[in-house]
Amino acid sequence: MRSIAAASDPTKHFFQPIIVCLTVASVALTLFVIWISLHDLSLMRAGREKFVGLDNYIRFLGDPRAMAALWRTVLFTTLATVIEIALGLAVVLFLDRDFVMKRLVRTLLLVPIIMTPVVVGLTWRFLFDPATGMANYVLSLVGIAQVDWLGSPQIALFSVLIADIWQWTPFVILLVMAALESAPTDPLNAARVDGAREWQVTWYVLLPMLRRALAIVALIRAIDSIKAFDLFYIMTRGGPALSTETLNYYGYIVAFTNFDISYALAIAIILTLFTNVALLTMYSVLFPKTGNR
Amino acid sequence: MARRALFYVGLVLLLLAVLFPLYWVVVTSFKTTRDAFAIPPVWLFSPTLDNYRTVFANRVFLSAFANSFIVSILSSALAVAVGSVAAYGLAQQPADLRRAREKFILSLRIAPALLFVIPMYYLATRIGALNKHWLLIAAYAFVNVPFAISLLITFFDDIPKELRDAARVDGAREFRVFWHVYLPAACGGIVATLILCVLFTWNEFFVALVLTGRDTQTLPVSITSFLTFQGIQWGALTAAATLIMLPMIVLGILVQGQVVRGMTLGSVKG
Repeated sequence: MRSIAAASDPTKHFFQPIIVCLTVASVALTLFVIWISLHDLSLMRAGREKFVGLDNYIRFLGDPRAMAALWRTVLFTTLATVIEIALGLAVVLFLDRDFVMKRLVRTLLLVPIIMTPVVVGLTWRFLFDPATGMANYVLSLVGIAQVDWLGSPQIALFSVLIADIWQWTPFVILLVMAALESAPTDPLNAARVDGAREWQVTWYVLLPMLRRALAIVALIRAIDSIKAFDLFYIMTRGGPALSTETLNYYGYIVAFTNFDISYALAIAIILTLFTNVALLTMYSVLFPKTGNR
Repeated sequence: MARRALFYVGLVLLLLAVLFPLYWVVVTSFKTTRDAFAIPPVWLFSPTLDNYRTVFANRVFLSAFANSFIVSILSSALAVAVGSVAAYGLAQQPADLRRAREKFILSLRIAPALLFVIPMYYLATRIGALNKHWLLIAAYAFVNVPFAISLLITFFDDIPKELRDAARVDGAREFRVFWHVYLPAACGGIVATLILCVLFTWNEFFVALVLTGRDTQTLPVSITSFLTFQGIQWGALTAAATLIMLPMIVLGILVQGQVVRGMTLGSVKG
């Protein structure tokens, strides 16, 4: 009886067509992408593709530019995620008290998040202008030598990182703040009654309660940093001397500057696999099976 | 008392760090070129609208405004219409089935845009659709539908099950329940989802960069044309930047409680 009831469940008709469409589209797209990556397809000479097997993937392994880009992606993602989480958590703990304009502060923290990323990139490029930018002016006030923020291969990646941190730390703050507010206060008070110091309450009681929220936001930030594109395109275009070229950006260049779409898709597939492995590792560290969630 | 003062000093520094870059761009857009590049910076100046005149005299920018408007509204409306129907069905399903769907939707988020933009670009060049609005609308609707579904489910979950059961007992068909009970009850959530879709589409750069032609350029793509080889026209650029981001900041603040919820696909209720 149950199976008959389930089969005629009319609510299925609401989502099945759409899920089927999305699934078919994704599967078709995946197959097409794999097919292209196994061929030698260039937009410069359309219609003359030939099967090349795994050549594009082998080419990736021997491509120093791609390897450097992969390493840069790892560096950027790790730094961005760790710094944004640490800084965001610090600000949340700092703001964890009642004060007059708390609602207003939350609203203002929203602004970088919803700002158009291209505009964020332009803004920081403006601030980092070597001659007339605000960043160097502030440095000159405290007597530090001028920095060539976006023009120096040693520094440019970190300048983009600063812009990324500026835009996304507020996101960490708001998300963790929401988790903190929905957390019960009893355990905190109980620990205080038991004579725990304030830092002990924070470290042993509060942080474990925020664990889930921190893990979620870390995963989201890691996913988005791996795919970061807008800031790089606007602020540095991968330069100077390729010093800010991430793998995603390199894939874009290969596809739309060199028009070598087969190799570009091989790069995109490798990037996707790499992301998945990294996230699964991260997931199993953040949510251990035996641990309490 | 000293601790309190210290707290407020910290708060002011935090807000300064968050808001100064934004403030500086907006203020620069009202400056003359001379004031904009003065070192030390000019804090007090007589504002001018010259930069805005330059921007509004730029036909390319105006048509980009229209493109952004049309594309983000239509693709979001499409995504929310399709998404709300699917979300209604999914909200009635047992938990394990839904979790599988959520994983699928998350995996769509992990895949870099490059993966679907390249084949789309390739096909579009073949059928000559690269300079058509519908291509962009379809691409964004495809991206927005999974997002809209997973967000709308969380809003439909907030509706008490008794409402549906009562309507069913009264003999209402599923579609009537959806149309007359769920849609009105989740109205706020649906509007919020629509606004968030518009916000993401308006701000999106990568897909637009690849899939737009001369006639379909959206604002984020169009603004990069101010970054010319002859040097950057910062005056006009900051004015254009202000015009692009201001409507989104207003919309974002309207649905501020839902932004974090939306960006975590409903896994955290902000």
